[in-house]
Formats: sequence, structure tokens, C-alpha cells
Amino acid sequence: MGIMFGSELMESIIALIMVSTFMVLGSKQLHTSVSAFQFQSFLLACIAGIVAFSTGRIDIYIVAVLTLIIKAILIPYLFVYVIRELKVKREVELFINISPSLLIGGVLVVISYYLVRSIGNNSQLSSYALSTSMAMVLIGMFFMITRKKAISQMLGILIMENGLFLAAISLTYGMPLLVEVGIFFDILVGTLIMGVLIFRINTTFETIDTDRLTTLME
Amino acid sequence: MLVQFALFIFQLLVILALAPLLSGLIKKLKSFFQIRKGPPLFQSYHDLFKLMRKDSVVSENTSWLFNAAPVVSFASVLAAGLMVPIFTTALPFGFAGDLIAVVYLFALARFSIALAALDTGSSFGGMGASREMFISSLVEPAMILSIFAVAINVGTTNLASISTEVISQGMTALSPSHLLAFVAFFIITIAETGRLPVDNPATHLELTMVHEAMILEYSGKQLAVIELGVMVKQFLVFALLANIFFPWGISSGLDAGIAASIIAFSIKIAVLGLCMAIVESTTAKWRLFRLPDLMSISLMLAFLAVVFTIIMRGG
Repeated sequence: MGIMFGSELMESIIALIMVSTFMVLGSKQLHTSVSAFQFQSFLLACIAGIVAFSTGRIDIYIVAVLTLIIKAILIPYLFVYVIRELKVKREVELFINISPSLLIGGVLVVISYYLVRSIGNNSQLSSYALSTSMAMVLIGMFFMITRKKAISQMLGILIMENGLFLAAISLTYGMPLLVEVGIFFDILVGTLIMGVLIFRINTTFETIDTDRLTTLME
Repeated sequence: MLVQFALFIFQLLVILALAPLLSGLIKKLKSFFQIRKGPPLFQSYHDLFKLMRKDSVVSENTSWLFNAAPVVSFASVLAAGLMVPIFTTALPFGFAGDLIAVVYLFALARFSIALAALDTGSSFGGMGASREMFISSLVEPAMILSIFAVAINVGTTNLASISTEVISQGMTALSPSHLLAFVAFFIITIAETGRLPVDNPATHLELTMVHEAMILEYSGKQLAVIELGVMVKQFLVFALLANIFFPWGISSGLDAGIAASIIAFSIKIAVLGLCMAIVESTTAKWRLFRLPDLMSISLMLAFLAVVFTIIMRGG
């Protein structure tokens, strides 16, 4: 993996992606989380754009545009729509408070960094991107575990997906276009289905607090 | 030797002369955003002189601590001032301490005031002291960590050497970790100087006050010393922010470059003051128990800055 065009710019953007992950993790309002996720997706589209520009491959340009449209515009809009329609409480509800969860997030960053280092890194940038994306996957999972609302869990899985996308695009210049388009379609449909499911949960139980779903058990 | 001594005196004079001006400037900028006329730029000086001419009223229930605290806090803040690069990196006291000494001299100043606040036995004093300690326990790790992020990058903890090294690195010093550390330190500055989301500097009788509650029992000359100490501390934290993260324009010797350096420094401080006024005008005071969230955001930013520095060096 040679040093590609604008690797300094890539470093800055990856750092910003990391910061936006912590913004999602650290915000008390649902809306702020969603806009932080939107910001993160926008940065991912920028990364895809830079990779496309440096390799000159047309399919990566398409991926960049798809990222921008689906992840940075459509999905955040869907979130805002669901929040508005369900009239959910705007404050996030969590099992672990904001500041301890931020600290745990920091620990996860260190863990992922050491994991990546033990793999044996090829270049500076790739190890940097890989450890960031692994941290994003771990933080997304942590986010899903510690939040009570179904919407937040949706957000967590999208952060995980963003981490995987970052790894794919910055290490291997992206997957084949067909696979990539399939993934985007998957994400979009998955989010829609989750949104519908949340609506159903809401109408059935009159809450989307997953804590209360234990009555489903036998 | 004589030059060193002259520099020693000169730096103290610059700090003491400019610190109230910074307070006045921030007040003026804030009133501009609130479409008020605001107090004159030099009002802080007049206030200090007025307080200096008055006698102190000391409660009968206090011990010697109450009289010692203003002196101790003022002296420790001034001692820290000799280790912070203001207009030159050839510091007179540079050999005596590094960033850790500066951070803990600030902590000593805060500690002595909190002790005096408890000494009076008034409920306001105790409340203010406990809040101040609560905030400082959150601020301290983030402050150390954010300067460390820069210090690791340049390989020294001496503040003057950090400035010199950052200058010599040129524009490459403005790495992501540098900027993250800057944002973290900016949040720390808000907390350390008692500004708006954390503490309201403009209020005197409100249940939410922190610093003002601690010094409620002081009057006259002692109050003047404490007020000046607070202004000097604010000035020094701003100077750290300016000269650690954006040291360009600072003079390295004792020659004629000092004049230009002072002008550059004043501009940097004024810009930072403007940023602070904007932050203060656009935010409301936070609940006390939400502050750990703010501080842990700052701590996390500083921590990420350190991690990025280490990853970038391939360590």
C-alpha cells in the first residue's frame, strides 16, 4: 500500500472521524447524535472522494457519491423523521452515564490500536486507518449495548458499518462496485426495516425503551 | 546576570500590566455582543486601585489562614508566570520548572483560596470551595494531558522549549493531534478561568456561583490581591494557549525582537479573548452536575491527541 495522494489530508479527516464518533457517544440529545453521525458520514464520503481522485477509478467516485446521498442525507433524514413522528423524548437514556462511557470509549481506542499493531502494519496510514475503524466498530457495539432506545441501537449499528467502510476504502481502495452498491442497498433497506420495526414496537408497547421488552420472554 | 535580572522584572511587569487589560477587553467584547456599552476598557485598573485604598474587614472567627491565603495564591501564580513564555523563550526562570510545575502552582493557588473559604465557616464559602475542588479535580488531568500531547510530539516538557520546537517544525506542527489538544485546552481554559458554561464571572449573588462564593468574605486590599491574582492566572492560561499551540512570532532572544514579539502576543491574546467572548455570549450556564460531561469531552480529546501522536510516530 503506497502512500497515496493527500495522505496528510487523509490523516486529518480520519482524526475528525474519530472525534465525530466520540461526539455521537458523548451527546445527550438524540438530535446531536444524529447530526454527529451525519458529519461522520460526510467525512467518509470525503475520504472516498480522495481515494477516488488518487487512484482515478470511476467506481470509487460512484461509491463516494452514494455514501454522500445515502449515509449523509437519506439515513439522517430518516432518523429525524422517526424521532419526530414517534415524539420520543429527546434526551438519550443510557445504562452507563456519558462521562464513564467516554472513558470506556478511550480504552476501546487503545485496545484497537494495540490489536492492529500486533497484526504488523504495512504503512503508517494503513495502520492508522485500520485502528480507527476497529475502534469505531468496538465503540458502535458498545453504543448498542449501553443505550436503552431502539433508535440509539440503530445508530450504533450504523457506526459499526461506517467503521467497516473506512477500513475497506482506505486499505483496499474499496470493494468491487457491485458489492459496494449491494451493501449500500442493504444499509438503506435495513435502516428502513428497523424504522418500521420501531414504529411497530411503539404501537404495540407504547414505548421504544428496549428495557421494557422483557415481557416478550416466556 | 544583570540582563537576566532585568528580564525577570520586565516579565513580571508585563504580566501585571496586561492582565487587567485582558479582563477589561473580554468584558468589553461581551457587552458588544449583548449590544451594551459596557464598562470602559481600563475599568479593571480603577477597581483594583479603589480596592487598594480601602481597609479590609476580617471576620473574628477566622484564623491566620484567612490572611495568608491571598498572599500564597498571588505568589504562586506569579511564580508560575516566570515559567510561562510570554514574549520571549529565553525565560529567566525556565530552569526552575516545566509545565508540571506551572499546573501545580495553579493548583496551589486554588487550594489556598479554597482553604481560606472553608476557614471563614460561612455556608457560601464552604459551598464554593467544594464546587471549586470538584471542578479542579476534573480539570487537572485534562490540562496535563492536553499539554502532554504537544510535549510528546516535541520531546520536552519545558514550556519555552516546547514553543521553540513547535516553531522549528513549521506548518507540519499543525497536525490533527495538535488541533485536538488545542480544542481540549480551550475547554480547560473556560473552566480554569471560571467562564460561562462552568462559572459565571459576572455574578455576585447567585446560588450557582463558584469562585465568587469562595471570596465573598474578602474585602479591601486582600480582595484586590485576590482579584489581581485571578486576572494574572487568566492571563497566564491564555498565554499558555497562545504560546504552546501557536507560538509563531515569539522572540527567542533578548534583542530588539522583543517589541515585535509583544505586539504579536497581544494580537494572539486579543483573538483568544474574542473567541472566549463569543463562547460566553452564546452559551448558557450548565448545571453543576453536567460539568463532568464537558470535562470528560475535553479529557477524551486530549487523550485522542496523545494516542494519535503515538500512532503517527509509529511507536
